[in-house]
Amino acid sequence: MSRLICPFCGPRELREFEFHKTLPNAGHTPFEQVYLRVDSLTLSVEHWQHIAGCRAWLHIERNPSTGEVLVCRLARSEGVS
Amino acid sequence: MTTRRKGARLSPETLGFTFDGRSYSAQVGDTAASALLAAGVRAMGRSVKYRRLRGVMTAGPEEPNALLTVGAKPANVPNVPATQLKLRDGLVLESQNRWPTLRFDLTALLKLGSAYFGAGFYYKTFIWPKWRFWEGLIRRLAGLGAAPGRSDLPAPSYEHTHCDVLVAGAGAAGLAAALAAARTGASVVLAEREPSVGGELEFETARVEGRSAGEWTCAALGELTRLGARVLTDTTLVAGSTGEMVLHTEPAGMPGSARLMKVRPQALVLATGAVERFMAFVDNDRPGVFLLGAAERYLARYGVAVGQRIVLFANHDRVYAAAARLAAGGLQIVAIVDTRVSGAVDAQSREIAADFAARGTLCLAGHAVFAALGGDAVTGALIGPTDGSAAAQTVRCDAIAVSGGWGPAIHAAVQEGGLKRYDETVSAFVAHDASQWRITAGSANGAMQLGVVLKQGVEAGVAAAKHAGHRGPLAAVPAASGDPAPHLEAYWRAPADERQEKNQFVDPQNDVTVADLRATLAEGFIDIEHVKRYTALGFGTDQAKLGGQLGAAIVAELRGETVPAVGTSRLRPPFHPVTLRSIAGHRFGAYLRPARVTPLHDWHVANGAVMEAMGLWMRPRFYLANGGNPTDAGIVEAGRVRTKGGIVDGSTLGKIEVAGPDAAAFLDAMYLSKASTIKVGRSKYMVNLREDGIVLDDGIVLRMAEDRFLATVSTGHADHMLSHFEHYRETEWSAARITLTDVTDAWAVIVVAGPESRAVLTSVLGSPWHDALAGLRHMDVTAGQHEGHDVTVLRASFSGELAFELHCRPVLAVGLWEALVGAGLAPYGLEALDILRLEKGYLVSSEMDGQTTPIDLGMGSLVALGNPCVGRALLDRPAFHESHRGRLVGVRSTDGKSPFLGGAQLTQDAVSAVPVGYITSSAYSPALGEWIGLALVARAVPEGNMLYVRDPLRGGDTTVKVVSPVHYDPKSERMKS
Repeated sequence: MSRLICPFCGPRELREFEFHKTLPNAGHTPFEQVYLRVDSLTLSVEHWQHIAGCRAWLHIERNPSTGEVLVCRLARSEGVS
Repeated sequence: MTTRRKGARLSPETLGFTFDGRSYSAQVGDTAASALLAAGVRAMGRSVKYRRLRGVMTAGPEEPNALLTVGAKPANVPNVPATQLKLRDGLVLESQNRWPTLRFDLTALLKLGSAYFGAGFYYKTFIWPKWRFWEGLIRRLAGLGAAPGRSDLPAPSYEHTHCDVLVAGAGAAGLAAALAAARTGASVVLAEREPSVGGELEFETARVEGRSAGEWTCAALGELTRLGARVLTDTTLVAGSTGEMVLHTEPAGMPGSARLMKVRPQALVLATGAVERFMAFVDNDRPGVFLLGAAERYLARYGVAVGQRIVLFANHDRVYAAAARLAAGGLQIVAIVDTRVSGAVDAQSREIAADFAARGTLCLAGHAVFAALGGDAVTGALIGPTDGSAAAQTVRCDAIAVSGGWGPAIHAAVQEGGLKRYDETVSAFVAHDASQWRITAGSANGAMQLGVVLKQGVEAGVAAAKHAGHRGPLAAVPAASGDPAPHLEAYWRAPADERQEKNQFVDPQNDVTVADLRATLAEGFIDIEHVKRYTALGFGTDQAKLGGQLGAAIVAELRGETVPAVGTSRLRPPFHPVTLRSIAGHRFGAYLRPARVTPLHDWHVANGAVMEAMGLWMRPRFYLANGGNPTDAGIVEAGRVRTKGGIVDGSTLGKIEVAGPDAAAFLDAMYLSKASTIKVGRSKYMVNLREDGIVLDDGIVLRMAEDRFLATVSTGHADHMLSHFEHYRETEWSAARITLTDVTDAWAVIVVAGPESRAVLTSVLGSPWHDALAGLRHMDVTAGQHEGHDVTVLRASFSGELAFELHCRPVLAVGLWEALVGAGLAPYGLEALDILRLEKGYLVSSEMDGQTTPIDLGMGSLVALGNPCVGRALLDRPAFHESHRGRLVGVRSTDGKSPFLGGAQLTQDAVSAVPVGYITSSAYSPALGEWIGLALVARAVPEGNMLYVRDPLRGGDTTVKVVSPVHYDPKSERMKS
């Protein structure tokens, strides 16, 4: 994943983006939401920001084993999809 | 007068350079190695550990011995391979690892003790009396070259680019690949490490498409140019990862005209070739021992014969074709020594051997060179049968050319994420992966015959272009004839008894011998990565190019394992040495990072401010008019604010405008206390939490209108806070109507503080502001205009005095500032700001250090409000409420005069090793006439207790008393007056 395709800016260098966090996928208590992650070899769901670009917040799904980016869309549409 | 040499890379013009103080002449196009060899210079350095005299061995970046220092100290450039250093007129070169001169090296006396200097010698020997005792001496002897004291190199250029297909290596495979890709219409970048393209076609007797190899190379280059391909010579692929490939260019072969390129290709063809290997025999590191390919290259490129009487030693058929070319170039081939038995030798090779034998050359199959004879240079070779069936014989010669096969240059493929596998036919590791976008071709892929190399090149070029979205007509593979298949026999070292193994060099650059490997394995370092670290095998510029490969094979032999079972150590970037200056690029000195300045910056500088960087911002620390150092000036400036008044530049304060119908509800969720309860025209001090409950930042939130707030955040946190707000707006609050705008640069801020602040500010802003300012209560906000521009005044205090924050448009800043100074208020800097806030117990990042909760910082009452904000839920975790957890307190020295410093640990007695807290900030308070501080101290320790300050390294041991964090004006009467 050397580049990300920003929905606004198109394909851009990875260095323009800033990783924020891996989204929790375990439990619903505040503690679980903040601290617990299910590590997966093949899927990581993350929030990134296009910090040196349009500042969009991105929802990214990628395969940590291969670096392949499976989904890169605006985080904003999360509630909608 | 020497005659002009003719070579593929030479021009007839001459130039001059010096080596170790002696002048030499060379021809334009020469490398340092070729020119010195032509001048009869064999010795070009000494080895790093045993200080053995060494000469150049290769003609490429794998050179282990001839590393030179270019230029004079302190701006010298060390460790430049002589083989890669293209000469310029007037260059000053020095050999390395010798003192005082190359010939008379006193440290070479170490050689006398070399029997004791095996692997692990330093670890085992210098433990008495202790390592530090020896360290200075050993550091002087250790290492390659000498680091420069400074750099005179001009800024190298940096380029980020992209293309459809990047081809690394412009030998036969690379040219074929680039052509095939360019013909489909793909944009192609072709990078070649050497100053000219062609690779082995430069000297191999080959024909391609009915033309000579040279003509075909020229035609290919011409067509590539016509098709718009970018051909970069002197450019090496030095590293690559996750799709980004780093190319390093040094056109003159000299650092200084360097360029670093980061290329993102859609597809990558690695046609990086193979590095020739050598074989181990006794004293195989003597000047005069060359790689066979190096002998051919020096002859073809530079017209240099590496010797007059040469012995060739190999384990494959290519040596015979090479012998024919070297003989045609005028070298006398004394012997061709082939490790393979005659039955394994190709028929065509046998014919060549018969011709040579007829002319008096000793052609020996099933034989090996056992030892190089001679002292400072090779004078003969000891040759014997590999099976020991007969006695070894001595042959007089002045050079030995060795070839033990080729190791494909898979560095880039592996660094980029590929795998490797062992290919038995070439006895070497080749790249092995199913990547669609990264294709290895040619000898980098283990192909050793020109026809196969070209076929792989064409196929790789077509596949790469296709991956990049370009399809073209089916490309024809050029018909070619060249050297025969090598029919390589895996052979790594000549027979030797164990005591001779200490002279069988495996990695000349790091002075690793077979004996070292044997000792290392005997001590239990079995894994190749452990062997590497214990012996230094493959360290330095080698990275398994030359020494590392042979070493791994011999480790396999000694362990009774196969080579693939042993593997090679990690191939680290860069592929060849790159100066740090090239990597730094333009990010150097003032360009390392940008400086942010406020509208008042020039005034500060012109009026004697000593500036300090806070993040990217430049802020005045103190003004020289008030004292020559920050401590003295800070005391004067802070004292004056309390007695009279002062102004400070607060423009760097982060300001985020939060607007929209849902702004109040949004801020309620972002802050520990509610923003929705702030009335329009009022403001509130508020705190943010991280989602885990730790304090993130604090600041004053102003309500400018029902649906519009201005959130001020710490200078150093402004960027992060904006992202933090944006994240919540884009996720949990994505349905809400909120805009977030960073208005930090839209407002200059002048803080006017002190007893006279209201009077002075009123006089400066004039009569329209009289009533508004007169009626302004603590935390009130009023907005208006001054000279036609917007101005906001907030009455708030970070000093404990009556104070006003004047937010004005940047265009007004200097005028208002000068008017305030003219009206009698002197400016103060960060040092005074820190004293004033400390006297009042206000927080900065020393207290909000990413580990403290609002409960720790004395904001329990805000937590108790129960506002369900971000992070609130996790504050209820039991550990945050335990009695040993710190709480914010004030500290003062028990004797009323001793200083103490932030960072000092606090204990309950003079000997305890268990701290109960630590000092976060401290300063001398002019208002109180003594040292004061803030500290985080366990809740169990009550106010009034005495604690021991433990600060032995700074000599700061003393005792303090625990007091209230508010040292000055505890009821805040001055601020609210």
